Amino acid sequence: MKFKSQKVAYWFFAACMLLLTLQLTYGFIMAFAHMGLDGLHDYIPFNAARATHTNLLVVWLLTGFMGATHFIIPEEADRELHSVPLAYLQLVSLLVVGVVAIIGFHLNWWEGRKFLEIPRPLDYLVVVNVLLFIYNIGMTVWNGKRFTTTGIVLFMGLFSAALLYLPGMIYFTNHTFDSYFRWWVVHLWVEGVWELIMGAILAYLLIKLTGVDREVIEKWLYVIVGLTFLSGILGTGHHYYYIGTPRYWLWIGGLFSALEPLAFLGMALFAVAMYRRSGRQHPNKISLYWTVGCAIMAFVGAGFLGFAHTLPQVNMYTHGTLVTAMHGHLAFWGAYAMIVLAIITYSMPLMTGRKLWNNMPGLLAFWTSNIGMVGMTGAFAVAGIAQVYLERKLGLDFMVVQKEIEVHFFGLTLAATLFSVGITLFIYNFIKHGLPRDEMVGDQSLDAEWVEPHQAQTVSAAPAPEKSTPKTGKKAKA
Amino acid sequence: MLSKSQARTFFLVGTLLFSVLFLFLTIDTVRQVPAQTRAKNITPAVARGKHLWDQNNCMGCHTLLGEGAYYAPELTKVYERRGAAWMDVFLKDPQAMFPGQRKMVKYKFSDQDRQDLIAFFKWIGEMDLNGFPPRPSRDLNAGLPAQVTPPAPPSTRADVPAPRPTTQPSSQAATRVGAAPQVAAAPAMPVKFQQLCVACHMLGGKGGRVGPALDGVGKKYNVTSLRKWLEDPQGVKPGTAMPKLPFTAQELDQMVAFLLAQK
Repeated sequence: MKFKSQKVAYWFFAACMLLLTLQLTYGFIMAFAHMGLDGLHDYIPFNAARATHTNLLVVWLLTGFMGATHFIIPEEADRELHSVPLAYLQLVSLLVVGVVAIIGFHLNWWEGRKFLEIPRPLDYLVVVNVLLFIYNIGMTVWNGKRFTTTGIVLFMGLFSAALLYLPGMIYFTNHTFDSYFRWWVVHLWVEGVWELIMGAILAYLLIKLTGVDREVIEKWLYVIVGLTFLSGILGTGHHYYYIGTPRYWLWIGGLFSALEPLAFLGMALFAVAMYRRSGRQHPNKISLYWTVGCAIMAFVGAGFLGFAHTLPQVNMYTHGTLVTAMHGHLAFWGAYAMIVLAIITYSMPLMTGRKLWNNMPGLLAFWTSNIGMVGMTGAFAVAGIAQVYLERKLGLDFMVVQKEIEVHFFGLTLAATLFSVGITLFIYNFIKHGLPRDEMVGDQSLDAEWVEPHQAQTVSAAPAPEKSTPKTGKKAKA
Repeated sequence: MLSKSQARTFFLVGTLLFSVLFLFLTIDTVRQVPAQTRAKNITPAVARGKHLWDQNNCMGCHTLLGEGAYYAPELTKVYERRGAAWMDVFLKDPQAMFPGQRKMVKYKFSDQDRQDLIAFFKWIGEMDLNGFPPRPSRDLNAGLPAQVTPPAPPSTRADVPAPRPTTQPSSQAATRVGAAPQVAAAPAMPVKFQQLCVACHMLGGKGGRVGPALDGVGKKYNVTSLRKWLEDPQGVKPGTAMPKLPFTAQELDQMVAFLLAQK
């Protein structure tokens, strides 16, 4: 850890762990309800559990992104954060808004629009909160000693995410318009600007962990985020097939969302290629696992499984079924949850000075949570496909079908238990690291054998052509 | 070989180009949606219904236009499938309609609220959704028994394509008027039967599959037992999935007479 203000990240990550735990709890409540065990119905009806589950996901991921930003930006800008108290204020206010929103859900207080359930008055507080964050980070970047591509892409991602929250706050009487602009937030976040954030964190981690030249990695960052927007912006069309919007969205959405996996494929190939090229062994192996694992699982979950039901002919049947839940779980896990866990595993030893990077709980956390999540995806897939067949093809009544597929939710619960064991181990490791220590400020011994990002950038001109040759093949594929 | 500045240009130009295209398509969509969604039919009641839909986070369990959660039925065509009378009874007390089954929160909807929600669903059901939801390729619940009394037409709309005779979902039959003559001599099928009962029961091989088929029900029961059953299902058979339906005395008479005729 180079700067003292990077310590702020720790508290964001600690909040992440707390929110993630709550998110899992609500996931279980829903899985049990799907099995007919809805004893909590009077206190936590399904819609409250569902809104809590998804909103907690969004909030903990955003908190993780913010934590990552607080860790990365000072280093990329080569200066302390603009204001540390502001960062703490922003974290606390974000949590307060989150807690109020969740309590509100249980009291039937919400806006009731999928993923944007937070009631309108709280929306304004979120906006103020995010403005604080953007201001703090923006000032740090602006007054920074250097501008790196990674830093700029990260900032642009965060800034556009804040901007894109606004279309979700316009009120429409026509339900179709409501949906149309709701997807501007939801889709353009997760299949657009969040990928900028994810790509930047991924690039940062790869620079740090593989020692591959910054110029090479950042060039690929541009290619990948370029592919993301090339496919992702018009790929929004896959939400506009069947909601009362013109027919041309069927082919525009189909065509461009078929291209969406390319960005994720590029990311996976890029991470693996950089991993292969890393000349030296970074001691923090676990973090490398999470980093490369993230790129691969993002491709499987977001890219491949997304593609599996994005074509209009298929989506006609799978739209609004558990098939979506199948894709959603692995996509969010692979693309966003894993990148946050990767930056946590990378930064924790640097902040606390405890080298818990190759211990058994850490390794087990990685494997059990991933295997558990793949198992959950499998359970959702079987349930979803059965639902599509019985309900959409054979025309059975919804509730009759739900009875038929209850058993798959038992399988889901088993896999989710395994997943939770993995997350518990991760949190155990997190706690074992202890608090960030001031002695670690300026101590770069843990990253000692690495080329300083500074030097890498200045030295890069000479060895660049030689280093970038192996990527021609990959480029053709991407 | 791609240089970093070329990669940056690719990113910036690509993003700009596709953002502009997206905005252009959005403008066109905004122009077309009112006609495609029959926006002229958005009455104040529909708008209030939408507000209720949002206020209670109905999307947290149901899907509408295929969007929402996957815990409760897809409601895009619910008006066509169930009809206003059924929905009104259901919304008063959802759990009473499906005793012992997956629960819906009992919201304290006023009479006006329920009418608003029904208006909202009616409007949603009339949108042009590019073919969604798909028609089942083999419908196990195909069709309803023909009725003699035409019901208050729940969805007689000029723009609905003529249903295909063989693969017709049960819901569509609500719009058909007396095609089969076999019940001509028997008491006429009460409107309420056609609005409520067929959601769960089959008659003549057509209807829902939640409760037992009602063919021959008149042979098994008599006036007293049928009346008692309809008045208080839980009293006769605790734990039954049969709801107590809000029939008037006259409707109850008609219903019992009709059921007794099902020999």
